[in-house]
Amino acid sequence: MPTTPRIDWSQLWYPGPKRAYTADEMARAGSDAPSPTLVVAAGVNFATVALVALQLAPAAHTARLTAALAALAVMGSVAARWLWWRPWRRPLLQAQLMVAAAMLLMTFGMRWRLPERADRESVALVLVIGSALLVAALWFLVVWRAQQIDARLREQAEREKAIEMARRLAAAQIEPHFLFNTLASVQHWVQSKDDRAAPLLAALTGYLRATLPLFDRALLPAGDELVAVQRYLEVMQARMGERLAWRLDIEPGLERTLLPPGLLLTLVENAVAHGVEPQLAGGEIVLTARRDGAAACFEVRDTGPGPSADLHDGVGLANARQRLALACGDAASLRLEPAPGGGCSARIQLPLHTQAP
Amino acid sequence: MTTALIADDEEAPREQLLAALRSTWPALRVVAVAANGVDAWDNFLEHEPEVCFLDIRMPGLSGIDVARRIGAQAAVVFATAYGDHALAAFEAGAVDYLLKPVDAERLAQTVARLKLRLAPAAPAPDPAALQALLAQLSAQARRPPPLAVLQASMGREVRLIRTDDVVYFESDSRYTRIVFEGGDALIRTPLKELLAQLDEQQFWQVHRAVIVNHRHVAAAVRVDEGHMHLTLRGRPETLPVSRHFQGLFKGQ
Repeated sequence: MPTTPRIDWSQLWYPGPKRAYTADEMARAGSDAPSPTLVVAAGVNFATVALVALQLAPAAHTARLTAALAALAVMGSVAARWLWWRPWRRPLLQAQLMVAAAMLLMTFGMRWRLPERADRESVALVLVIGSALLVAALWFLVVWRAQQIDARLREQAEREKAIEMARRLAAAQIEPHFLFNTLASVQHWVQSKDDRAAPLLAALTGYLRATLPLFDRALLPAGDELVAVQRYLEVMQARMGERLAWRLDIEPGLERTLLPPGLLLTLVENAVAHGVEPQLAGGEIVLTARRDGAAACFEVRDTGPGPSADLHDGVGLANARQRLALACGDAASLRLEPAPGGGCSARIQLPLHTQAP
Repeated sequence: MTTALIADDEEAPREQLLAALRSTWPALRVVAVAANGVDAWDNFLEHEPEVCFLDIRMPGLSGIDVARRIGAQAAVVFATAYGDHALAAFEAGAVDYLLKPVDAERLAQTVARLKLRLAPAAPAPDPAALQALLAQLSAQARRPPPLAVLQASMGREVRLIRTDDVVYFESDSRYTRIVFEGGDALIRTPLKELLAQLDEQQFWQVHRAVIVNHRHVAAAVRVDEGHMHLTLRGRPETLPVSRHFQGLFKGQ
């Protein structure tokens, strides 16, 4: 949506950045003291301007003017340091009013001691110009400082977004191997103008879209996860061709069963990795959901060699068990056993009452 | 003309590598394309390619298993979708590796290295160091326990044969003949597939069509340059040892 830049007229009578940073924002992005380089540069600039001003003023008032300019310098430095920690327009206005008030005081103070009108005017002129420069310098300082803090906050926000994305991807445990292998197929089929490219890409996109939000919640309806499972199987199907056969067989109503996220996906990924991929002839994956008395039973069965005797849980399975125990306590179980007729059967059993409305 | 073998269990990456090789190395002749490790090894024995491009994760035998069997008999290039295993160990150049999808520039580098290695004057890679590396990688893989019992249909009965009792396996067209203490039987599993399920320490492949239980081997007899056969304990027949496997029998 293109936005036309609008003139903010309030900057004319109330200049400076509008945004007042919170203490937290200042701590995160504005905790640094002014750098020595900046302090020295500002000091040298002021001294140069002051020297020029003294050259222009009548020689008789050099001492007075020096004192006045020194006072301005001290005040400017205090104001600048004060504004450094609060770079927005309200403090800026306060500081500018203080400078103006001090300048008026000094100008009128000197009027009494200078009988000559010409002298008064030249002294007043130097003081007015000096103060005006100081006011402008403070404005510039605040604008510059605010932009510095804005940039840092923006950078931090972007970094946090990237970290959050990485965290989500990590939580989703999307295997890089899966991703790159799939992309390799997509690339080849795109290059060779094979019709399988588009459906595979669509399935991959659907898989990622369904998987990433899974882990935002502690529990979610099985139906949501089954979407991710289905997309995953579609991707693998496209890649493995007829070596993989699969079907989902879900008893109506059980899509509402609440499960810790990623459970079914992990079981299906394991079934493909251990039950189908290592088999020369490939294999079949069947995911069923059945009511069993007062329990809901989800089963993932493959036609592979079955669980080996010295079976130990991989990271995925250990995680899945832990999440299940955390979410449903002792009432739920996850068992891995040889399936009747060969292969491996992974069964999740949990009380039926954990249903989404 | 250099010959090559390509093995990957997925069609698209296999075809992609094939296409990339065609444009990067037009002089290369791809003599075999395999969809699993078992076929890859069998194809190697049949065609003796000089270069083998092997996917690491394959059913049957993994790319690493195949590379171990090939040893220094051919130049091996691994293909993998992601930096699995300690592939960096291969940067040294004994074996090269490619990331899928294969990138033309990287492939050109690999091809240049291969051409150097295949040049007549090239120094031979140290086979012992290569085997050590591959053994290390293969130890990381989980594999099912070796086959303990074979089931052979004999007429109306199914005979259970303990692998320990087997003397040798012999490929017999589409079947495998099992010769065991007490008889012989035919099973439908091809020899190349059986190979992947047997205990490597006990069963030695000595020919594309023969696997022998080394406990029954009496002697290896060199007939002439290039020909060797095995005699067996208490049995009259001899088994051929093809050139690839003669290195197994070199005396101590």
